[in-house]
Formats: sequence, C-alpha cells, structure tokens
Amino acid sequence: MTYLELRQVAFYYPRKMKPALTGINLKFEKEEITAITGPNGCGKTTLTKLMIGVLRATEGEIYLAGSPLTNYSLGEIGRRIGYVFQKPDLQLFCSTVAEEVGFGLNNRGYDPETVKEKIKFYLDYFELTGYQNAFPLNLSQGEKERLAIAAVLANEPEFLILDEPTIGLDAFRKKLLENYLKKIARLGRGMILISHDESFVNRLAERVVIMADGRIQGCNERKESACYEA
Amino acid sequence: MKLDPRTKMVMVICLSCLALIYSTPGRLLLVLAATIVLLLIFRFDPSTVWGYLKPFLSLMLMLFIIQCIFSPGGKVLLSIGPVPLITYNGLLVGSSIILRIIVVIAAALLLTTFSSRDFVLGLVQWKVPYELAFMVFIALRFLPVFREEMINVITAIQLRGIELKKVPWGQKLTIYRQLFFPLIYGMMQKAQQLAMAMENRGFRAYPQRTYLRRLNFILADYVVMLLSSAATLMLIFLQIT
Repeated sequence: MTYLELRQVAFYYPRKMKPALTGINLKFEKEEITAITGPNGCGKTTLTKLMIGVLRATEGEIYLAGSPLTNYSLGEIGRRIGYVFQKPDLQLFCSTVAEEVGFGLNNRGYDPETVKEKIKFYLDYFELTGYQNAFPLNLSQGEKERLAIAAVLANEPEFLILDEPTIGLDAFRKKLLENYLKKIARLGRGMILISHDESFVNRLAERVVIMADGRIQGCNERKESACYEA
Repeated sequence: MKLDPRTKMVMVICLSCLALIYSTPGRLLLVLAATIVLLLIFRFDPSTVWGYLKPFLSLMLMLFIIQCIFSPGGKVLLSIGPVPLITYNGLLVGSSIILRIIVVIAAALLLTTFSSRDFVLGLVQWKVPYELAFMVFIALRFLPVFREEMINVITAIQLRGIELKKVPWGQKLTIYRQLFFPLIYGMMQKAQQLAMAMENRGFRAYPQRTYLRRLNFILADYVVMLLSSAATLMLIFLQIT
C-alpha cells in the first residue's frame, strides 16, 4: 500500500529562477526502506522537507496515506512521520538529554511511568545513559546525531525519514543504528534514508532512488511499481 | 539613486526621530508616506515591507489593545457598565503607536539597500572604532539567525507530533518557558564559536586596519544630508514649540 506519494512535484526557492526540484514522481510504501542518493545540492533534503510539510510544493501534489499533505497540520505529520534533520542541532531544544527523548511523549499525555521506561530504553540503546542530564548542544556531533535519532524513535512514528543519519557515527554505532532500523522495519514501519554512505544504503535499502540536478535520474528497485517515470 | 551609505544612515535617523517625536496619526502617516517615497527612490519594493512587518503583528496588536484600554479621554466608544473600555483618545494613541513602529521598521529597511560591508566601512569612516562597528554589524546579522532558530525550534516541536495550535495556553507557556534557556544558551555558544573563528582569522591582531575601498561623498550626499537634517530639526522645533 502506498503511504507517501509525490505526483509531478516541483519546487522553486523564493527569488530563484531555476527549480530546486522538478517533475518528481515517487511512491513510498509503508513497509519499505528506500534510500535517496545523489551529489550535494541535488535537492535530496529539499525533497524530504516537502514530504514532511516544512516546505510547500510549488507544483504538483503530495499525498500521505491517501490524503493530500496540505490537509494535515505539521503536528499531525510529525505524529505519523519521524524526521531526523541533517543537522541534529536544529532539532535539539531541551535542557537535558533525557528531556529531549521524552519531550514528545510527555507533551502528548503519555503516563509518566511509560515515558520514563521509554527514555531509559532509548538512552540505553543509543548509549546515552551517561549523558542523561547533559545539555544536548554540549554533546559531540556523533552523540547529538544519536540523540536526535533516539528522540524521534521514542515517538514511535509509522514512517521515518532520516537525512544523513550516519554522519558522525563510528562503525560500531552505525551497526547499532542499522540493526535498530532493520528491527523497526520488521515491525512494518517504512523509511526513507538520505545517505552518501554506500555500504550502509546497500545493506538496508530495498530501493535506491538516484537524484541529480533536482530530478530523479533513476531507481535501482526491487519492486516494480515503486518508481515511475515523469 | 546612488548615495553614500552614511547619507542613508542619516536619513534613517531623521525619519526615526520624527516617528518618535510625533504623536498624532495624521503626522505619522505623513512620515510613513515620506519613508515609502524614499524606499521607492532607492528601488526597494514597498510590497516586501509587509513581509518584514508580519513578525511584529502580534506585538503591534497587543500594544494597540493596551493603549486603547489604558489611554482614556474623549468620547467613550465602548464600555462595560460604567467602566469605559475604548475611548476616542485611546484609539488615537493606539494607532499612533502602530504607525510609529511601522515607520521605524520601514525606515530601517533603507539600511538594506547597501551591503553590510559598506555599513561597517561607513561607521569606521565616521571614526567609530572598528570593533564597535563590527559588533553592530554582527548584532544585525544575528537577528535573522535568532529568528530562524526560533522557527526551527517551533518546527522541530511540531514534528515531534505536538499540535502547538491546539495545546492549551498553560501548557504552551510551559513549553516556551522550557525552550527559553536552551535557545539563549545555544545562541551564546554560537557567539563564542564565532569569536573563536574571528580570532583565528586574526581579528584585532594588529592595531591598524587597512581597507581596500573607501567611501566618498558626492555633492548629492552633502545636499541630501543637509536638507534632511535641517528639515528634521525644524520639524522637531515646531513640534516642541
């Protein structure tokens, strides 16, 4: 079942004559792991920002679970899609690491015991327990990346978009993340990975979308219906 | 029209002074009209002024309401029982405040018609110490960064599944209070990193700075500066007396 669909999507940044994205047609299934790759500046991050409603498509339509994305508020999208920013600093805003992981759950009315358990689990899993009272922006780049991923995963979204999740992670933590992503994929949650890390992408993705110059250049796919031409 | 950045700075000071000294909507409207004419002369699209005013709308509305309620006098336009709520005088004061803010913001946009490099150069040639001029420039540069940071944080909160619009006011205030300290701390960290980067590139390493370019006044600059300063002083004098 198609979970996220882009139909003839184009996007222009304000006061720019050249489109950042043009003629994008893509379908993403809920249980599928897709990687989007391409050179720097080809529009990968812009594409994901359109998918989560942070940017609005200049042309075309985006559908989430069958309804136009414009019908959803940012909060509703956030509950369905977990988004890990390329720069983790942009999504860390709490006073402590533990607060950061529990922020979404606390403010969505989960009972304190459940929140506590989940915080403990994610801090343990991403080896952040020792930093639970630390200020998030004081962490190293790799720790910030792990925290951003943990904070998003703690919300247990239906679908994930991870923009360069392996930046700053060492081989061991990359493996940990890979195992975790495989585990949540087995639970029926799909995801989109934006990454330059070829081996990481090859080990995880069922389909690789290749972008260049704001367009889809090709799809290395295992499922026929997943990618169609503009 | 090509004028020296310093001439434009003088014009901004003049317009801002007039906006502060005038307290009636009629006169403030005239100052606003003059500001818009200047923006047009310097090829600044006045329709974009709205974009700059938008972030201040809630502040302006709040000030308007406060002034309407707490500046009594004149005909009562709305009252709750014997208590006058909105009076004619209150409306005048409220609209004057809004117009004043609009003039100050619109006038400041004249400063965007030249580069920040010219801004620093202009201040330095006015004998303002380079460190001070650079600090002003950095402060101006950091304002949009701070705004962007706020927008990012609010987006990130919503992407954690929180409907900020639907959250009750009490909870919303708690969320914003929680965010305040990390936001300020984050900005201070950025400032610290910037200071380190500047020092690494030799900021203040030598007492004497040299400049590749120099700004030069032309006749039009002298005329415009003289006329705008004289007109402003005269209008202030007339207003006071």
